[in-house]
Amino acid sequence: MISLIGRGLVLLALAAAVSGCVVGSISGIRKRDRGGDWTRNLTFAFGSFMVMATLLMEYALITHDFSVGYVAQVGSLSTPLHITIVSLWSALEGSILFWGFVLGIYAMVFAWTTRGRHPQHTAYSLAVLLGVAVFFCFLVASVADPFAAVEVVPPDGPGPNPLLQNHVLMIIHPPALYLGFVGMSVPFAMACSALLAGRLDAAWMQMLRRWTLLVWSFLTLGILLGGWWSYEVLGWGGYWAWDPVENASFMPWLAATAFLHSAMVTARKGLFSGWSLVLVIASFLLTLLGTFMTRSGVFNSVHSFTQSPIGPVFLVFIAIVLVFSVILLSARLDTLAAKDASIGSAVSREGSFLLNNLLFVCFTFTVLLGTLYPLIVEAISENRISVGQPYFDAMSAPICLALLFLMGVGPVLPWGRSEPGQVRQLFVRPAVFSVVVGALSFALGVRSPWVIGTFSMATFAAWASVRELSTPVLLRMRKQGEALPKALLESAIRTRRRFGGHIVHLGVVAMAVSVASATHWREDVDLTLTQDEPVEVFGYTLTYLGAENQDQPHRVSQVGRFSAAAGGRDLGVLEPRFNRYKKRGDEVPSPAVYSGPKEDLYLSLLRVDDDGTASLRVVVQPMVAWLWVGGLMMVFGSFIASFPERILRRRSSVEAQGDVA
Amino acid sequence: MNWKVLLSGLFGIGLLVAVLAVPILKGTDPHALPSVLEGRKAPGFLLDSLEGQTWSSDSLVGKPVVMNFWATWCGPCKQEHPALLAAARMYPEVVFLGVLYGDEPAKAQRYLARAGAAYPTLVDPAQRTAMDFGVGGVPETFFIDRQGQIVKKVAQPISMGEISHWVEAIQ
Repeated sequence: MISLIGRGLVLLALAAAVSGCVVGSISGIRKRDRGGDWTRNLTFAFGSFMVMATLLMEYALITHDFSVGYVAQVGSLSTPLHITIVSLWSALEGSILFWGFVLGIYAMVFAWTTRGRHPQHTAYSLAVLLGVAVFFCFLVASVADPFAAVEVVPPDGPGPNPLLQNHVLMIIHPPALYLGFVGMSVPFAMACSALLAGRLDAAWMQMLRRWTLLVWSFLTLGILLGGWWSYEVLGWGGYWAWDPVENASFMPWLAATAFLHSAMVTARKGLFSGWSLVLVIASFLLTLLGTFMTRSGVFNSVHSFTQSPIGPVFLVFIAIVLVFSVILLSARLDTLAAKDASIGSAVSREGSFLLNNLLFVCFTFTVLLGTLYPLIVEAISENRISVGQPYFDAMSAPICLALLFLMGVGPVLPWGRSEPGQVRQLFVRPAVFSVVVGALSFALGVRSPWVIGTFSMATFAAWASVRELSTPVLLRMRKQGEALPKALLESAIRTRRRFGGHIVHLGVVAMAVSVASATHWREDVDLTLTQDEPVEVFGYTLTYLGAENQDQPHRVSQVGRFSAAAGGRDLGVLEPRFNRYKKRGDEVPSPAVYSGPKEDLYLSLLRVDDDGTASLRVVVQPMVAWLWVGGLMMVFGSFIASFPERILRRRSSVEAQGDVA
Repeated sequence: MNWKVLLSGLFGIGLLVAVLAVPILKGTDPHALPSVLEGRKAPGFLLDSLEGQTWSSDSLVGKPVVMNFWATWCGPCKQEHPALLAAARMYPEVVFLGVLYGDEPAKAQRYLARAGAAYPTLVDPAQRTAMDFGVGGVPETFFIDRQGQIVKKVAQPISMGEISHWVEAIQ
């Protein structure tokens, strides 16, 4: 029964998306308002059907209705409720349905916020958005059908992938990434509508920036949580491995970051408008490529679901979107670029943004090449190769250093033309200071030029951000006699984009310093400990206290208990473990981490023996915690910057009235 | 219409789609890593079993052999153990050999006493034989035909169906 209703809902959503796409295109071409209303209503219909279908699937999962194909595939009577709910995105079919759900929500929010504004642009955007929706509905209705009926209904199922069940971060990492990935279709639709209409108004551009920023925040959060999860669960003490699927999420992030910067120049100076649209379209295409990588079984990675039939269908879709974008761009780029002003001086803010964009695009191509290279080699020969960390590290380190440098330069340089004297005055102090920091780290024994470079460039960048953040606050405190919290809040509200932007930059600085330190000073060793015999390792005293088995309905855990102490201070008991999931029989290691501001102690259980010994891997990495702090700062800053202006304006006008009264 | 953008764009698309389509068309499995030893002669060895019996590659010439590298600390090895036991009983004319990888003989004996054994497990001091076979991790299973050639290497927990398939191939 549920299978039938579910399929019906998906088909209704498909019908709404197809008709909305057609009506939207027509009303965009004819510039008719009535058609626009119809498109909006069809968007709401599509979104509602998608939401209903997803809720129905959740209902089937929670009630363990094993007559539904997807439930039989990932459900299990012994799985805890919260895991059952999130198992919606634990396998291919469910995750595509969830994709459609998120797209439905985005489409409805977009249709709602644009009502009564920019009729032609909105009609085109909704048409493109629903065009994307047609494809996903088609997938859900055909090759990746989660509602397929099961002939012989099993009494119980295997439960979801153990990796999903193993950590709370796995519950939030995929939805955050989905919000970022799926969300990119909104900026894409907006960019296409500007190209279809042949004009890019300032208001539309501003909306495009706001949407991209919001989506970018989710993407950042998703990537960050993925790294965090990998650190907390996978047991090797790392957070980023340049795995094809990590790259797949990183590439659209890079392209979107480039857009966020070029869009500033477009808004301020009317430069690079065509180029900005190219970046938006590229970001969306890279998210599609990323999804293809995870879902087609072409790449070997922890993320890839095994061989699946959606690969060829997806590839056809990617090809269609590519051809559509290229035709659109080649038809309209000249019209848009004709209105662009020309860049004045290289030593100006727009000059530094141009350089920033070149670096980001280089970075994207570097990652793309490294990711696709094994496929290229295999296509022209029979050889199998893999491109690993050394390539990516070697290529990305100089680009990252250059970007750090630009972070210290770009926001400080004035728009337009700058005088040499002015430039000298702006940069002498931060430059001297960063050289001092570099020399200091050399004096303290750091010999790697990359680490020294990172420290000194991070200082340079931090200087610029701290100054840009503090100057308006200090000014308010001095001129208007405001207290620090009020001055901070007011300047955050008034210059919200710049304020948020600099918080993001400081987050990047924290992450850069953290990555450099954690990589450079990482120490690890595999040890075998005998019960109750303390062992000294990397300045810590570890004592193996014994092992125990914990039995839960869905899993059995073998827990090794270790007490840790450092410098006479007791750090408590750490419990790295193996979790074995009963239904699937897979063993998943679960490391234990003692995290501090200075460094992390990371224990990963390798094996427990009956004779009172246990083997474990001990990893000590400095400053890892700052990676998460920096990442969260980036997300926080971008949320500040993308906060809707209308709400803020309302608030400050209320305040102004209060002042008058 | 900007023809330069259009043509270079379409060219780029063609390349990208071709690169992505190849693995789909070839139907290759990215998780499989072919062994360079496949189709070559199996390396020679002279090892003692847990029971103290000596086994040499020379004495196996003319017989089909299945060699399984395993360890007690390896979860997937335990997972495939029942399939190997059953297969060894089903194909008495095939020589099944376990080779212990990075593990202590006493532990292996204890495990086999509990989980059951149907064929000898060889002790590989300093993992010399594993190195000769290019073993990268456990479990790995090699199928060797009567001429002493490695026909197939499976580098993941093996199933009964897979064992039957490759045993047919080496007989």
